[in-house]
Amino acid sequence: MTLLEKKLKQKPKIWILNLIIFVAVIVLVGISFNGAQINWTRLEMAGYTLREMARQMTDINWEFLIGFGSYRFTEGISFLAIETLAIGFLGTLIGAILALPFGFLASKNISGKIGSRIGETLLVIIRVFPEIILGLILIKGFGMNAFTGVLVIGLHSIGMIGKLFAEMIDNMDRSPIEALDAVGASLLQKIRFAVLPQVAADFSSVALYRLDINVRSATILGVVGAGGLGTLITLAGQNANWNVLGMIMITIVITVILVDIVSAKLREKLL
Amino acid sequence: MIKFINVAKTYPNGVEALKNVNLEIKDGEFVAIIGLSGAGKSTLLRLINKMIESTGGQIFIDDVEVSSLTGVKLRMLRRNIGMIFQSFNLVKRTSVYNNVLAGRVAYHSTFKTIFGLFPKEDKLIALEAIETLGILDKAFIRADQLSGGQQQRVALARALAQKPKIILADEPVASLDPITTIYVMDDFKRINRDFGITVVANMHHVDLALKYATRIIGIKAGEIVYDGPADKVSDDMLVHIYGRSLKSDELLGDIDEAI
Amino acid sequence: MKQFNLPSGAVIKKPFNKIWIVLGTLLVLVLFFSLFIFSRRPFFNLSVLGEILVKMFTPRQYQNWGDYFGYMLTLRGPLVETLSMAFGGTIIGSIIAIPVAVLSAKNITKIKWIRIPVRTFLNLYRTIPVMLLAILAVYLVGIGVLPGLMAITGFSFGIMAKMLFEIIETVDMSPYEALESTGATKTQAFVRAILPQVFPVYISYLIYIFEINVRASAIFGYFGAGGLGTVIVESAGQYYERVGATVILMLGVVLIIQFISNYARGKLQ
Repeated sequence: MTLLEKKLKQKPKIWILNLIIFVAVIVLVGISFNGAQINWTRLEMAGYTLREMARQMTDINWEFLIGFGSYRFTEGISFLAIETLAIGFLGTLIGAILALPFGFLASKNISGKIGSRIGETLLVIIRVFPEIILGLILIKGFGMNAFTGVLVIGLHSIGMIGKLFAEMIDNMDRSPIEALDAVGASLLQKIRFAVLPQVAADFSSVALYRLDINVRSATILGVVGAGGLGTLITLAGQNANWNVLGMIMITIVITVILVDIVSAKLREKLL
Repeated sequence: MIKFINVAKTYPNGVEALKNVNLEIKDGEFVAIIGLSGAGKSTLLRLINKMIESTGGQIFIDDVEVSSLTGVKLRMLRRNIGMIFQSFNLVKRTSVYNNVLAGRVAYHSTFKTIFGLFPKEDKLIALEAIETLGILDKAFIRADQLSGGQQQRVALARALAQKPKIILADEPVASLDPITTIYVMDDFKRINRDFGITVVANMHHVDLALKYATRIIGIKAGEIVYDGPADKVSDDMLVHIYGRSLKSDELLGDIDEAI
Repeated sequence: MKQFNLPSGAVIKKPFNKIWIVLGTLLVLVLFFSLFIFSRRPFFNLSVLGEILVKMFTPRQYQNWGDYFGYMLTLRGPLVETLSMAFGGTIIGSIIAIPVAVLSAKNITKIKWIRIPVRTFLNLYRTIPVMLLAILAVYLVGIGVLPGLMAITGFSFGIMAKMLFEIIETVDMSPYEALESTGATKTQAFVRAILPQVFPVYISYLIYIFEINVRASAIFGYFGAGGLGTVIVESAGQYYERVGATVILMLGVVLIIQFISNYARGKLQ
C-alpha cells in the first residue's frame, strides 16, 4: 500500500458516528410520531378547517373590536388588549421591585458563598415553576381576574430579573464603593451613590426586555382565567368562532409587536 | 497633625507589611512616600483613615486615636480626610457633578441624602470645587467621557468638596501620561498651598516626588529608612531605599521640559 | 434648568434631571393600568389558597413515600409524550427552518423582493406565543399529542429561522465565493463552505430550543395537547396531591434537561 493509501485508512471514521446519530434521530422522531397517535382523517379535515378559519378570521367586527354599539367597552377587544398590557406592565414592575432584595441575596458579593447559593436556588425554583400552573393555583385564591394575572407575572418575573440583577452586582466596578468608604459614607449611602448609578441602566434594560416577554405571557394566561385577551380564546375556540379567534390573534400580534418596538427603542437609549 | 507611634501591621497571612513606624506630619505639609512596590507604602497610607487596621502601635489624628474609632465616629473622621486613587474610583456612568457631590454625604443624614436632598450650600460647595479644578464647563457631563487627567481632577474635586484637612493620594498620577501628570501634580501643589490642606502621597515616580513634595519618607521592607526634606535626598540615599539604582519607569524624566 | 451663581462670579446652568420624567411616566402608567385591573374587583381567599398549596405539596393521601413515588412512576407515560413532542417538534421545525433562514440571509439571498417579505413574515410569525399555537392546533386537529407536536414544530421553526439567518449573515463568505469560482453550484458551495461554519452553532441552538420546548410542552396538556399537562387538567379540583406530584416531576425534569443542556452547549463552544 502506498503512503497515501495508508494515511487514508487512518483518517478518523467520522462518517460512522454521523450515520449512527442520523439513524438515532430518525428513530426517535419516529417514536414521537408513534406516541402522537396521529389521527390522519382529522389532519385531512384540517385543510378544510384552515380555509374556513382564514375566511372567517378576515371578517372584522368593528363594534366588537373597539367596544361600542352592541358591545360595552369592557366587553370589547380593545379593553382586553389594554388589560393585557396592564397585566404585563404592572406584573413586570412588581417583579422588578421585588427582584431587588432577592438579587441582593443571590449575589456572591453581598451574601457570600452560602447565602448566594440559597438565593440562587430560590430564584431557580421561582423561574422554573410554570406560569400557567401558578395561575391555576392563584386563581383559587384571588379569583378569575386580571389581578391574579398581575400576581402570576410578578412572581415569575422575580426569578428572571433577580438572577440577572445578581449577576450585575457581582460584575460591577467596586472602586467607587472604596472611594465612598474613604469619604465616610454609610452603607445605604454607598449603595445609593456607588452601586445604584452603575446598575440602574442595565437593570432598566433587563426590565424592559422582561416586559416584552411578559406581555406575551399575559396574552395566554387569560386562558386559565387570569384576565386579558386569553379569556376570550377558550370561549371562541369551543364554539368554533373563528371570527372572534381571528380578531384576537390579530390583536395579540399587534400588541406584541408594539411592545416589542417600544421596548427595543427604549433599550437602545439606555445603552 | 498625623502621628504614628510604634505602628506595626502584620497581615493574617503572616506578612509583616510595616514595623516600627514612627512619624509626625504637621498640618500643611506636602509629604511624598517613596519606595519599592510592596515595601508598605499603600499600607501606611490606608492606616491613616483606617481603611486598614493596625496590629500594633497607635495612630493619632489631631490627638484622636484612630484605631478606637468605629461607626459614626469613624465616618466623621473620614469625611475630614480626602482620598485619591490611582484608578480615580469614580462612578463612570454619572455626571461630574454627581460624583463630586457624593463627597458631601457624610455631612448629612442617610435619609436625606438617599433622596438626593442636599442643602443648597452643599451644591454650591461641589460646584466651587469643580471650578477650582478648572473643569466647570464639564460639570454635567458623564464622568467616563472625560480624559484620564480630567477624571483625576474630578476625584480631586470630590475630595475638596469634603473640605478636608488632609488629602491622601495613592499613586495618583501613575495612570496618566507625562504632560497630564504635571498638570495634576500642579493641582495638588496648588491645593496644598492655597487651602493649607496636608497632602500625603504615595509616589511611583521618584523625580516627581522630589520636585513637588517638601518632605520625603522612604520606606524599605516595612520600615522608614528616610524621613526628611526633599532637597536633602542624595542619590546614595535613593539607592539605599530602593536597594538598587532606579529603573527608568521610576523616573518621569524630562520634567522641566514638559512644563 | 436650574441656575447656580458661584461666589467667584461664574454662573452655571444645571440641566433638568431626566429621572423625573421617567418616574412621572411610570406613575401615570401605573395609575392608568391599575384602573383597568381593579375594575373587576378581586377577592382575597387566602385560606383556600393556603389549603391548596398544602395539599399539593404535603400529600396526606398517600400512606408513605413509597406510594407517592409509585404514583410518580405512573406519570412516565405522559412524561414520554411530553419529551417526544418537544424532541420531535424541535428537530422537524429546525429542519424546515433551514431553507427559510437561507432565504432571509442578506449574504445569500441578494434579491430583495424575496428576502424582505420572508423576513417580515418571520417577524410577524414569531410574535405568536407558543401556547396560542398549541391552542389553535387543538382546534384544528383535535386533542392528543399531535397538536402539541405541531405547535412545537411551528414554534421551533420561527425561532430557529431567525437565529440561523443571523448566524449565516455573520459567516465568512470567502470559502463560498472560492468554491463558486471553481464551478460549484450554489447549493454545493453552501453545503461545503457555509454549513460547516454554521453547524456547531446550529446544534447549540437546537439544544437550547429543545430545553425551552420541554418547558412549554409540559404545559400543553392543559389545553388538550398531550403530555404531563393532561394529568393536571384531570386532577385539578380534586386530587391536588397529584397536581403537586406532577408539578414536582415537571420541575425535576426541566432542571435536569437545563443542566444537561448547559453542559452540552458548554462543550460545543
